[in-house]
Amino acid sequence: MAAPRKLSMKQRYAALTHDLDWDFSYVDNAEAYPYTTFEGIKIHDWSKWEDPFRLTVDAYMKYQAEKDKRLYAVLDSFAQGQGHLSLADAKYLNAMKLFLQGVTPLEYQAHRNFSFLARHLNGPGPRFAALCQSQDELRHAQTEIHTLSNYNKFYGGFHSWHHQHDRVWYLSVPKSFFDDAVSAGPFEFMIAIGFSFEYLLTNLLFVPFMSGASFNGDLPTMTFGFSAQSDESRHMTFGLEAIKFLLEQDPDNVPIVQEWIDKWFWRGYRLLALVSQMLDYMLPRKVMSWKEAFELYFEQQMLGGLFKDLEYYGIRPPKHVQHAIDEKEILSHQVYWTLYQFSFAAAFNTTTPDSEHLQWLAEQYPDTFDTLYKPLWDKASRMVEGGGRHFARALPQLCQTCQIPMLFTEPGDPTTICQRHSIYEGERFDFCSDGCKWIFDREPEKYVQAWLPVHQIYMGNCGGPTVPDVLAWYGLQPGDNGEYAGSQEALDWAAWHTTSHAPAPTPVAGN
Amino acid sequence: MQYELRTQVIEAKRKTFTNLTARFGDRPASRYEEGSIDIQAVTNFHYRPLWDPEHELYDPTYSALRLTDPYSFTDPRQLYYYPYVTARSHLHEAFASTLSYLESRSLMEKLPEGWKAALAQAVIPMRHYEAGAQMISADGCRFAYGTTIEQCLSYASFDRIGTAQLLSKAGITLDGGTDSLLGAAKTHWLENADLQPLRRYVEQLLIEKDWAVAHVGLDLVDQMLYGLLYAHLDEAALLGGAGGYSLIAQHLSGWFADHRRWVDALYKAWLADAEHGESNRAALAGAVARLLPGATDAVAGVARIIDGHLSVGAEDYVTARSAGLAGLFAKES
Repeated sequence: MAAPRKLSMKQRYAALTHDLDWDFSYVDNAEAYPYTTFEGIKIHDWSKWEDPFRLTVDAYMKYQAEKDKRLYAVLDSFAQGQGHLSLADAKYLNAMKLFLQGVTPLEYQAHRNFSFLARHLNGPGPRFAALCQSQDELRHAQTEIHTLSNYNKFYGGFHSWHHQHDRVWYLSVPKSFFDDAVSAGPFEFMIAIGFSFEYLLTNLLFVPFMSGASFNGDLPTMTFGFSAQSDESRHMTFGLEAIKFLLEQDPDNVPIVQEWIDKWFWRGYRLLALVSQMLDYMLPRKVMSWKEAFELYFEQQMLGGLFKDLEYYGIRPPKHVQHAIDEKEILSHQVYWTLYQFSFAAAFNTTTPDSEHLQWLAEQYPDTFDTLYKPLWDKASRMVEGGGRHFARALPQLCQTCQIPMLFTEPGDPTTICQRHSIYEGERFDFCSDGCKWIFDREPEKYVQAWLPVHQIYMGNCGGPTVPDVLAWYGLQPGDNGEYAGSQEALDWAAWHTTSHAPAPTPVAGN
Repeated sequence: MQYELRTQVIEAKRKTFTNLTARFGDRPASRYEEGSIDIQAVTNFHYRPLWDPEHELYDPTYSALRLTDPYSFTDPRQLYYYPYVTARSHLHEAFASTLSYLESRSLMEKLPEGWKAALAQAVIPMRHYEAGAQMISADGCRFAYGTTIEQCLSYASFDRIGTAQLLSKAGITLDGGTDSLLGAAKTHWLENADLQPLRRYVEQLLIEKDWAVAHVGLDLVDQMLYGLLYAHLDEAALLGGAGGYSLIAQHLSGWFADHRRWVDALYKAWLADAEHGESNRAALAGAVARLLPGATDAVAGVARIIDGHLSVGAEDYVTARSAGLAGLFAKES
């Protein structure tokens, strides 16, 4: 008898993964997988899910352990050598405060809900991919915490990030975004997070923070970003495989998926408003403008590339995409102007752009900046010179869907605030845009539940009736909030960089 | 001679994050603590799950087993992602060296009479049990309340699929490099009458609504099954000239000892809870009373297969272990 043939790589992979699964016979499949029918998605053959990576557990552990070893070595040496002093400026850290308060909790939520998928999807292929992603997302949450933990020792705004994520007004924007995805069914979550967030928008969300770190001397965050890159490319592939799988399984899935793309594009795009101002205003050393990033990463790569491929399945670009394109000249300015006025209630500082910064903004936004926004900053500067830094006095109205203050303007008219509303069960709900109104009108019973920070303050659920009451309830410490110029942070930074404190660059041999 | 580095000394304003100084006092925190305590959102959730509007997104009432403060439980191993993947990377490397040693010395072919059949029919099919355990633990990772608990379940879930892969590799080695033994093992899992009680038990745990009860149910089987296959049978292998199997079993018994450290700590935390301790004890005792007979039948079936090939007293071992587990959460008198 001939010797038995050894396994090919492909057979070995199948034996180690898909072949572990079996068809249940002691319990009803519908009871074992209770969550994969109510969304209307039809799956005929789970084995058609392609695993692009053929990753097994031993290989996963080996790669990840090696990556973390390198990352934590950088974190340790940066902390030991007071590396924070070589940042471009302490002001830069406002971007990282926003990241820890707003993005890290989302990584953690992704960890939890990919585990939901790792249990509740019917097919072993996507279950295993989701399980790996769940682990990766926990890695990202923890490595981000550990990366930024060293800054927390010396700077404000980092110390109470999870407490604030559950409470502070601008953080309800990312929180409600992810709560929306986690409270949806598993297939919508795959499209919302796996596809829209991790594929469609990841270069606009994640990359600007990491590139900003690299341009501004934040070696730990940059190292984290590089270290996460291979995980993210797996996640992007998961997202792409998820959408193709759903579209190929049944033509009835196409309109459902299209609506999810429409919804999650706009949901994600509104969340990116926070990133737009970070790129254009928070980074002392600029990477690129929001407009340029949007054109490159979204218009060229996604509209010009991905959506051309998806046409084959009958998928068209997201419903409100033209509105987003039209906003690219004005978005970041409107958002930062709002944050500037409300930063007395934020866990980061804002400040007036200096003349070099104003010049850069004018160059990046030749059609809008000097006419529409520079006058605002000139006025703000005059008020600062007169000793009266401008802050808003009233609380803003929030959009019922995206929860951003109603600061956006009418399409084609950058000086008129856009306001839409719907009546649901006799009550009026307001929106910042057609996109947010459309999302509400699809699922009003969901969005009426939203925990809107301003409403909650007025209802007396946020520590008390006065601003100091609310800020105490937010867990703000003195100096976390308000104007950057003259802040404790700015004073410390200046003191640490006087000559007597200049870093000693070379070791001195002694005896 | 020594040299002196001059470094800039800047006094830190904080030792760690506010939640940790509030909890532990003004001391530096470990990376485990910073990455694990209070990470999960606890309040002001925006929407109820579409698939379970009775609950919040994270909700202690997903289980009858509760902790007043979820962070009264911490992992005694202090595992966060980095040390976790580092430890498991070593485990998988060590297992791979074991297999290549077994292959180079043809130790699987030299197993004494009865051993190969016992392993093929009783041990290798457990890769499916492990795959089921992965799903049960992944459910706990989603629905447990608090990061310290769910983190342990998350790693356990990944460990289970890792163990399923280790057993599959052992099956490939046992068969000289092909997957025909794995195919036969799957048929055993699906059809062998002695494995059906275990398969039924696992499938029923998958429809158990309470993630913690499902986890207790899994642990009851684990304690008997790991004891049987990777301790009792390991002893027998050493005495019976089947040292090759012992080399494999050591990795699984080592993993299980590590795994039980957090499982036992969680039981302790549940029982010691000031507010929920009594109701936890009742829920745990109720789960054991309801599930232990099925768990015992399930593992007894595996034992019967072993006893059919080897005289190692497998079924007697399971009977004795089961008796020991019956009083697991009985009130101390």
